Amino acid sequence: MDEWKPNPATKPHKKRSWYLAWKYKLMNQRALRKLCQTGAVLFLLVTVIVNIKLILDTRRAAYEEEEESAQDYDDEMLNVEVPRHPASNKKVLDVEVYSSRSKVYVAVDGTTVLEDEAREQGRGIHVIVLNQATGHVMAKRVFDTYSPHEDEAMVLFLNMVARGRILIFTIKDEGSFHLKDTAKNVLKSLGSQVAPFLSWRDMWTFVGKKGGEVYGEKHAKSPALSTWGDPVLLKTEVHLTSVEDAECHWPDTELTRRRKRFCSKVEGYGSVCSCKDPTPIEFNPDPLKDNKVFDVPVAVIAGNRPNYLYRMLRSLLSAQGVNPQMITVFIDGYYEEPMDVVELFGLSGIQHTPISIKNARVSQHYKASLTATFNLFPDAKFAVVLEEDLDISVDFFSFLSQSIHLLEEDESLYCISAWNDQGYEHTAEDPSLLYRVETMPGLGWVLRKSLYKDELEPKWPTPEKLWDWDMWMRMPEQRKGRECIIPDISRSYHFGIVGLNMNGYFHEAYFKKHKFNTVPNVQLKNVESLRKDAYETEIHRLLGEAEVLDHSKNPCEDSFVPDTEGKVYVMFIRMEQEADFTTWTQLAKCLHIWDLDVRGNHKGLWRLFRKKNHFLVVGVPASPYSSKKPSSVMPIYMEPPAKEEGAAA
Amino acid sequence: SVKQHVVRKFLGLISSHNIPVYLIDPLVLGLVDKDIEQIKSSPGGPSLECKYFCAPRDFTTFALLDKTWKHEVGLFRTAEKMGFQWLKIINKDPRLDGMDDLSGIEIPLHYIFKLASHAIHLVVFYERSGNYLWHGPLRLKQHMDRKFVPFRKLHFGRYPGAYEKPELLLISIDDLKVQIPKNPSSFLEEMSHSRFLECRYREARAFFQLYPDDASLDAVEFRKKAKSLLHLAALTLNNLGVKFWLSSGTCLGWYRQCNVIPHSKDVDLGVFIRDYKADIIPAFQKAGLPLKHKFGKVEDSLELSFQGEDDVKLDIFFFYEEDDHIWNGGTQAKSGKKFKYLFPKFTLCWTEFVELKVHVPCETLQYVEANYGPDWKIPVKTWDWKSSPSNVQYNGVWPIDEWDDVIQIY
Repeated sequence: MDEWKPNPATKPHKKRSWYLAWKYKLMNQRALRKLCQTGAVLFLLVTVIVNIKLILDTRRAAYEEEEESAQDYDDEMLNVEVPRHPASNKKVLDVEVYSSRSKVYVAVDGTTVLEDEAREQGRGIHVIVLNQATGHVMAKRVFDTYSPHEDEAMVLFLNMVARGRILIFTIKDEGSFHLKDTAKNVLKSLGSQVAPFLSWRDMWTFVGKKGGEVYGEKHAKSPALSTWGDPVLLKTEVHLTSVEDAECHWPDTELTRRRKRFCSKVEGYGSVCSCKDPTPIEFNPDPLKDNKVFDVPVAVIAGNRPNYLYRMLRSLLSAQGVNPQMITVFIDGYYEEPMDVVELFGLSGIQHTPISIKNARVSQHYKASLTATFNLFPDAKFAVVLEEDLDISVDFFSFLSQSIHLLEEDESLYCISAWNDQGYEHTAEDPSLLYRVETMPGLGWVLRKSLYKDELEPKWPTPEKLWDWDMWMRMPEQRKGRECIIPDISRSYHFGIVGLNMNGYFHEAYFKKHKFNTVPNVQLKNVESLRKDAYETEIHRLLGEAEVLDHSKNPCEDSFVPDTEGKVYVMFIRMEQEADFTTWTQLAKCLHIWDLDVRGNHKGLWRLFRKKNHFLVVGVPASPYSSKKPSSVMPIYMEPPAKEEGAAA
Repeated sequence: SVKQHVVRKFLGLISSHNIPVYLIDPLVLGLVDKDIEQIKSSPGGPSLECKYFCAPRDFTTFALLDKTWKHEVGLFRTAEKMGFQWLKIINKDPRLDGMDDLSGIEIPLHYIFKLASHAIHLVVFYERSGNYLWHGPLRLKQHMDRKFVPFRKLHFGRYPGAYEKPELLLISIDDLKVQIPKNPSSFLEEMSHSRFLECRYREARAFFQLYPDDASLDAVEFRKKAKSLLHLAALTLNNLGVKFWLSSGTCLGWYRQCNVIPHSKDVDLGVFIRDYKADIIPAFQKAGLPLKHKFGKVEDSLELSFQGEDDVKLDIFFFYEEDDHIWNGGTQAKSGKKFKYLFPKFTLCWTEFVELKVHVPCETLQYVEANYGPDWKIPVKTWDWKSSPSNVQYNGVWPIDEWDDVIQIY
């Protein structure tokens, strides 16, 4: 405070002397005149000072403002928080629920919170969960209970919703065909009187509190198989409770604050929001010794599947050697719930305005995410790229830490991927084994910055090209003969069932039986032999050691491979030239591995396991390893199926 | 003294949360710099007087590298318990600004911790592409307390700034252990012209709306070559200590579209003639860029051209400063005609371009307008350097007997 002279302190003193002078000088006339003169001068002086000060102040204010706006050409000054829901102090909510063949809507206090009149979409039971204290929408789901198994998903979801929440149901089109008794009983237990008798093309609306009162229910029966029930509109009132009643009493910590925020906004995440025994949101897995990927940024590519993202981030944050500070979640679109999940775990998330459509949209989202990742971490030489529908193995980072130097040093490598396309329960065996493959599996992989910046980014497919980014990356113009390193047993697991290119059947057939490593701290074997030339030596050694299988037998039969363990076998198939995969595709089909395109090959060689034996397949004569074929052996040829059969598969 | 007390408390706060900060206060560093040898040689002894932190001023300024801490809220709680009032200034993340469609998170740019009559200004530095550190401008939002501290007296924040990553030195002054840039005088020098200009990403986006980007393979290839040529040129000139800036078409590309103009065919740099060094030509040759031609001479209209990979050319124009303008020269080889390009006076600012920290004229608009006229926003594919620029002046003819010297073509 040394230089600052407090002005106000002098004021009273001045006032006092003024008063005394006035009193004294009133004594004679001359003094009075003099006083008037002095007063006028003083008044003038004060006016001038006040005016100057005013001018100075205005100018300074103007200058400050100008400086503020001049540099900041994009400053949205105000971040006005628009409440998602009205009236926190209001005690009663008006709820309107409409159910019909082609349209459903739900309005809360006049605000539409659900409206679906799209054709050929949104069939089934729509469920909305409201916070009983604030009226906020906490979850919105639709279960297509016309189709099988969706009712099970609905039961799972309803069981996860906390007691006390307000549940709103409405049917669009048809919601009863595969609505089994279990589900009907759950609805009944919520207080619905109609649910047990819901039938074909009935319209139905219901509002109730979980574990509490029923606010209303309406139902319209379908008169005949070919027609729908009349539209129903339910109007009712819901009484709000106090915020304290709706919240859990967790101890006040940093973590709790995140959890509270999350739990007051969304529903459907099970025990994260359990009052009694909430599941942890911080994991602190063991650090890795000599972690070579601690400073490698991790980009999680996400869409609007917040439940998937939740599962994915849990597994990622539980993996040994994870560094949460390096993780960024990139959300394709302005979705709130995925962002809520990201914040729950204390990670950073970035939203991306969707551009273009479908595959091109995903592709543009990838590009933006990768560019942003390298901008945010300019020192990084690599980035780990993950998707929201992957489980991450406990030794994911350990696996990368042991292999990343290869990507740095061996220019013939394109990527390291955690996923083995051919690594199914019955075809993968050795967690310490790595392969080189000519295909790019994706699903949890490491990208070299120089590859991205110098090659991929400048010519990334533009939005009007409706290309899959991964297909594009697999094209020879991009891959340029380089290979990826993969583990025998995958370090990621693809659990997504709903997705752009994904459905239940597809997932069941190609992903469900994929092997996933659960062993921590696996020491990888012979990592140096994965280098370009060393790998050839290794393959020749393997082939030299391999026992040639009996080519007169059917390779699809189990008996094709002897009942041994730990041996190396080789078989030869016909492969006329580099791109001839006729026999391979048939073999892959009958072995129940990936057959939709060719994956996992290295110079016409495939490596997998059968009955715990290493099983090598060599394409003759295209593969350079054909020379290992004994002249007596006739390469196996398998014919592609007739047309109809192909279409059915 | 209050100041020393506040600094001591702040350093205690910071170290209790394991946050590494370093001193960048120009006044204190200036004092330290005078005694630097003595300070280095007598570490840690108790000092009776308060020589550095007690000098009269309202603030002490420290720097924090963003990536070295985790934004824990705990720091601020402890600060409050210790009696500090604090203010955080956040703004958009410029590292995501160039990307049209990402809603970047806001990042903290400045913190101010106030205790009694003294305040600590903590400037947050971010690493950016181009291997440099960046700090943001300090702009108050509407609801903020404008009287929290006398903001206009702050040494950092009037403009954003760009710095090299400093080497640090732990010293003990006034009984306090503190990290400082290893070479305070060069840090202070760097600080005096650290002003940074962000590329005008919004305008660049608008430009590409009007004139969609050339995505042909040729364009991609040219950009890649131009980028690597620029990186090589920057490396070479920086090693020589020759200050340069983006000029002509390269500057226009940065200013208009934040990228290399794909049909521009070459990379253009400007250098003040006072920074000319005879080593420039051999250095470029050593870097694999042979001299293509040399026009003019050091005293007049010097211009060097180097041959990059596959026809991409690097032009270095030397600029001559007059009282009220700056100019560079041009020479037509076949006729010996001289040309002069006039620019209003300018100073240099840092910017980021193709992952490189480079200079551009701070008064870029005037510079670009001088060169390309008021219609610089409209792309032109045919360009004649002798007649198209709006600032070109005919400047006579080189005397024939000088031709061998002033027109050298290889």
